[in-house]
Amino acid sequence: MSREDEYRAIRHSAALSRMDHVGLLRLMGDEVMEAVDAVCSGDLWVRDSRMLQTLILDDRGQPLADVYVCPDDDACFLLVEGITSEELSALLARHVDPELDAELEDLRPDHELLSVHGPYAWEVLSKWLTPDIIGLPYLSFYRFDRGICFRAGKTGEYGYDLMLRSADAEEVRGELLELVTSLDGAEVSLEALDLCALENGFFSVRHGSVEGLTPMELQLQWRVSTRKRFPGVAAMEQRRARGIGRRLTHFVARDEVKSGDVLRGPEAPVGEVMTAAFSPGVGGVVGTALLDISVAHPGIDEFFASDRDPASPIWTVSSPMLLNRSLLVDPRRHTYATRDGETDPPLWQGSLP
Amino acid sequence: MTTDLSDYVASREAILDQVRRILRDTMKLKIEPQAIDPDAPLFGTGLGMDSVDAVELVIQLDTVFGLQLSGSPEAFLKIRSVNTIVDAIMEMTDES
Amino acid sequence: MSDAPRITGWGVASALGVGRERLRGALFRGAIGIAPILRFDTSSFTAHVGAMVTGYESDGRDATVLCHEFGSLALRDALAHARLDPESLGSLRVALTLGASLFGDQNTENLARSLAKELSIEGPAITVSTACTSSTQAIGFGADLIRGGFADLVLAGGVDVLTPALFAGFHALGVLSEGPCTPFGQQVGTTLGEGAGFLVIERGGLRDATTRALIRGYGLSGDAYHETSPEPRGRGVAAAIRSALDDAGVSETEIGYLNAHGTGTIANDAAEWCAIRSVFGSELGCSIPLSSTKGHLGHAQSAAGVLEVISTLECMGAGLAPTTAGFEGPRPGGPPRPVSAKKPEPLAYELALSSNSAFGGNNCALVFGNAGRAPLDVDEIRPVFVSTTAALCAGASNVEELASIYESNSPPSDREIRIDLAAELPRVDLRGIDRASELLTAVTSRALAEAGLKLKGEARERTGLMVGALRASPDSIERFSSSIVERGLTKPDATAFAQLLPSAAQSACAKALNIRGPQSTINIGEGSGLLACAISAWMLAQRRDSDRIVAAAVDVQTEGVAGGALGDAACALVLGTAPTSVEVVGIGVAGPDHLDEAIAQAQRRWGSAKPPELFVDRLKPLEGMPATSSSFALAHAVHSLRQGGARSAMVASKGTTASVAIILASTEVIHDN
Repeated sequence: MSREDEYRAIRHSAALSRMDHVGLLRLMGDEVMEAVDAVCSGDLWVRDSRMLQTLILDDRGQPLADVYVCPDDDACFLLVEGITSEELSALLARHVDPELDAELEDLRPDHELLSVHGPYAWEVLSKWLTPDIIGLPYLSFYRFDRGICFRAGKTGEYGYDLMLRSADAEEVRGELLELVTSLDGAEVSLEALDLCALENGFFSVRHGSVEGLTPMELQLQWRVSTRKRFPGVAAMEQRRARGIGRRLTHFVARDEVKSGDVLRGPEAPVGEVMTAAFSPGVGGVVGTALLDISVAHPGIDEFFASDRDPASPIWTVSSPMLLNRSLLVDPRRHTYATRDGETDPPLWQGSLP
Repeated sequence: MTTDLSDYVASREAILDQVRRILRDTMKLKIEPQAIDPDAPLFGTGLGMDSVDAVELVIQLDTVFGLQLSGSPEAFLKIRSVNTIVDAIMEMTDES
Repeated sequence: MSDAPRITGWGVASALGVGRERLRGALFRGAIGIAPILRFDTSSFTAHVGAMVTGYESDGRDATVLCHEFGSLALRDALAHARLDPESLGSLRVALTLGASLFGDQNTENLARSLAKELSIEGPAITVSTACTSSTQAIGFGADLIRGGFADLVLAGGVDVLTPALFAGFHALGVLSEGPCTPFGQQVGTTLGEGAGFLVIERGGLRDATTRALIRGYGLSGDAYHETSPEPRGRGVAAAIRSALDDAGVSETEIGYLNAHGTGTIANDAAEWCAIRSVFGSELGCSIPLSSTKGHLGHAQSAAGVLEVISTLECMGAGLAPTTAGFEGPRPGGPPRPVSAKKPEPLAYELALSSNSAFGGNNCALVFGNAGRAPLDVDEIRPVFVSTTAALCAGASNVEELASIYESNSPPSDREIRIDLAAELPRVDLRGIDRASELLTAVTSRALAEAGLKLKGEARERTGLMVGALRASPDSIERFSSSIVERGLTKPDATAFAQLLPSAAQSACAKALNIRGPQSTINIGEGSGLLACAISAWMLAQRRDSDRIVAAAVDVQTEGVAGGALGDAACALVLGTAPTSVEVVGIGVAGPDHLDEAIAQAQRRWGSAKPPELFVDRLKPLEGMPATSSSFALAHAVHSLRQGGARSAMVASKGTTASVAIILASTEVIHDN
């Protein structure tokens, strides 16, 4: 399976993936939301059966973990990237009032997470689970007899994460793979998902954590409350008062650039490359750069990676950079079989240096 | 910085701030416009706007900038983050 | 009172004709009442059709005038059908329950008052303002007035008029179809309509009348989801349908025909279809005859529910299934085979179910059927108690401070209402909440918190919210009006439009606090809050679909001073079936000029020979809070009983369109009599 084939599955049909990098935890008790609120940086404006993206920051205000908070009756499920369940447990012990009625349980030992992404991922799930799945709004979840279906995803396409008992996972994986394959899809790697996340501007705590960067530089202020206390709040307040000197900005390039490459303008250095990867959809390299705040804007075509020979020009772009198929596919009207791929507009509407 | 670049950044920032103010007022956000990240998603996650907020946003963008987004669904897809809105406004200004 | 309320007549003013005979003829012919709009200019919109009342297509008179006229025509038509002389209404105990929402800045009770006056209706006139479910709920509450013995005969229905502002609001939300709507079909979007419809509902044995059908039950629920969109999986709709079936004492397999809300929008039709399959199962859901009448009559808003019930009654009586006009093929995610013949085809059924859903997630379902079947006995009456109260107004942020205003009998010097709802509810997104919603959410949240209630799990569905409110929040009304003035009809403020209903505060509060049980917004002008308490009490006593209902009221003044005007007020009482130290022992509801009758009813239900020890009047020093003042009086009565000042207390209110009396007693003395 080539990276191009994986990419095509995610961007054009449906892709199956194991999400072994995501921690699965559950808090039980009467005061679970109070407990989660004490460690997460965002305003937890989340209703039952809905999911909310938030962060856990360290004392310097840097993201430690990327968290989906998923409350449901007396429980709250947490899908966590960036820290282990032991580390989360330690954080809760440190920041949460021990009197609160909230008990943490690691679900990983006997649960797995399988996910289906793609503009027709809903078609796979509606066949495998229930046609009602098309009514499940983005960032919602619901329980079924064999587990929980979370509608989330970090690719810009329809995405469903299925939490299953480990005993069932292999059988379900087979069933889903059969359905995915019937739509010309495939099983894909985490690297392919990460590329799609990058193209759509999703933060990855596994790649995006750089020494000294807070949610302000990372354009994640929407995940940070301005009205509550949380770990790292003092650092955030300081950073807000002082302002930031650099900001994460997306770019495209024709030639190879790599993480750490210095970026220069016509006169002086302007920043450095954080992440970069070849995108089949763009036909070039996509990436994020940390640019001086004075030029941290899309639409600039004057910068280049100076370490390369010859120097490789980069163009800054807005995020999300692709016109995802999922935006044009309506589960209430379309199917994979009746799609008209010919008339679809290109994924990438821009040009390259 | 070259003159062209500083002019570009200045005009982009001016539009960016106006769009941020519109978003703050449309969404009744009690925060400084600067706290709205240019690449923050507008719908679903991020600023968490919904279809009703979108109606008001489209009207405001038309009123303030003359940006017409209603009508075709593809035009509507131009509003996904603050930056994509600014792009659409700058593109429109370039064309006219 | 175990006898089911009887339907003895009905009347309409509709897009398929004024008068039931015309509607009947048109329906049976398969006629469609949707046509290009002539009453106002639609050239700047993308949709141009509507379902206007026949003969009024070009009538440009004020909406309130048209509302009254449509209502009057339909009421007289209904009386004629029921063989009732309009002159005789004064001698019967007649009530009016009116579904009316009047998007805009008018108080809805004025329409009820003028209609009641015209027909000399002496009993209570109750307005239900929950947009598209207004008239459906009005029929349910009308049936309750009969079941509870509050009236002998009820005229129940609704009225709405299609105005340019209403059209503009729906247009801005992008839900209008270009051509006539085809519910569940290919054409996406709805077509707005208007009209009026009323049922004559009466108790058995009142007079020599032909019983044409029986009202078997109704059910209410709230989505607690969004201002305009339905909960996508239709859980709220399903809950209302289940509650109606339960109230009727029938199973889903006994329903012979289902009249769906079926507006034609993607969101509604898909959510409703999910709900139908969840209640009836996939197999029965696909095979039960179902249709939407909106292909014929458009979406008549506050009159939609009653017009759909009447269309069903006409067809049921003739052994026909109402059809879905315009339907030519299913839409993915919808019923595959709705009834869609060109003309209604024969179908024999004894029981029908009609469902409606509204902005803010107010759902209502009705079960009604032919007279031939004997209804089951109603359940035992359950005792109802007051658990907690919360009050908020100038100078009082709890019942203790309210008590000191009562004791001093003078207005507070501090006129500011201090409230930081974001601090009280840190995990609720309160962005864009309007003033009425803020006040109502604050008192409801405080009352539930004091009762130690966390709305999780089943408690969400088992908790209701009954709100007395006269109109939408003035700040939302002002935002909407000024957007139309400044930007024109094609660019109204959509967020303000979504909050332009008297029920907007109830929906926002339900959403913020996760209240999904039976809920509604009612209005009798002065005294609305006390009526909300009375309705909550009788629903808890007679029904089994909730364990507690928050009975609340909210007022927001138009002429505000910074920080809140004198007259901004909200009050909430948690009523429930779990015993507390204060029981609701008697309620009475009567006409606005018959407070004595309401008091006598309450006294009779209490069963005590002695009058209550304490009489609490509404709060005199605080003026200009018509919905809330009587709720304050009741909250103060509860406080006084708890303080041991008396063992029984009464609050009675001579309201604008109805009088209400409620007697409370300390639980220690109840069995002394």
